[in-house]
Amino acid sequence: MTLHTLNASPASAAFADCLRLLAAGDALLLLGDGVYAALEGTEPRRALDASGALLYLLQPDAAAAGVLGRIGSAAVVDMDGFVELSERFVRQLAWY
Amino acid sequence: MIYSLLVMSSPASGQCALTAARFARGVLERGHSIRRIFFLDAGTGNGSATAIFPQDETDRLQPWVDLAEQHSVELILCIASALKYGMLDGTEARRHEKSAATIHPAFTISGLGQLVDAAASVDRLVTFGG
Amino acid sequence: MSAPGGKRLLVVVRHSPYSSSLARASLDVALAAAAFDQPVSLLFVGDGVLQLQSGQDCDALGVKNLGRLLASLPLYDIEQVFVDAEAAQHYRLDLAAAPLPTRALDRDAMAELIRTHDHLLGF
Repeated sequence: MTLHTLNASPASAAFADCLRLLAAGDALLLLGDGVYAALEGTEPRRALDASGALLYLLQPDAAAAGVLGRIGSAAVVDMDGFVELSERFVRQLAWY
Repeated sequence: MIYSLLVMSSPASGQCALTAARFARGVLERGHSIRRIFFLDAGTGNGSATAIFPQDETDRLQPWVDLAEQHSVELILCIASALKYGMLDGTEARRHEKSAATIHPAFTISGLGQLVDAAASVDRLVTFGG
Repeated sequence: MSAPGGKRLLVVVRHSPYSSSLARASLDVALAAAAFDQPVSLLFVGDGVLQLQSGQDCDALGVKNLGRLLASLPLYDIEQVFVDAEAAQHYRLDLAAAPLPTRALDRDAMAELIRTHDHLLGF
């Protein structure tokens, strides 16, 4: 399975391309403007939930964006958690 | 495990370059090793010895220098990108008749073969872009 | 220079040819891998499929012709070239006229392609 990282807004082509290659059982870590894709009640978040991928946000980026209270059940990881994800998933694909 | 990182993020825009440096530190803290960090495209700006960032923000250069000096992590700037971004070591500055080197000595300029070579042997290759 | 056996590299390209230096960088990485005898595949997705448009002419623009660079890849034994069928269809791309032979994949086949590679490089 693959760890995808998204560092681009949910309005970007990078998000659409990522969504297309995101498979059930993959993980998606949102960083930078990617964290806005997790906003509850939005179309991008619905698409991510429907993908069957595990959803994570990088804590410092989500905190900076002010969205930590608006992401529902999505998991938040610190840098140690990011590294742990990279251990668990054998390959990583960056979208930006 | 052995990691390699590919960094294409500019230190001058967004936080991803900083995230990459912190990720590298996190990799070491979890007991892994880093074979090489390769900087490509706008990522080569991370090697700048002359860029100046606001004093009230996290330093953009020192985290990389610390990885090289304290943990012997190899920092390689892609030569084709580095030249385009004005990232020169002494040799390249002389070769192209520029007045001074612009990269920090913790970084080395080399070719894409260094990225391929790292990818061929490491357990994890993690890319940072944008 | 490389470890025995090596790792299977997949370069995922999502940038159109002349909008970003990343398009050229992705092809340079593939060429470098081939030069060091590392197995490398290319997958064009999203706007990346626009690199496969035939008839690219950069003379007036004065930049490197990426279509011509793509056409040279088979000479370096880069023959595992894949394209997102849906993205190609989205732009009504004629893959038969593309600068090099490709294989069009649906979503499941792209997921399978990713699973058969050790390292992914996204550009």
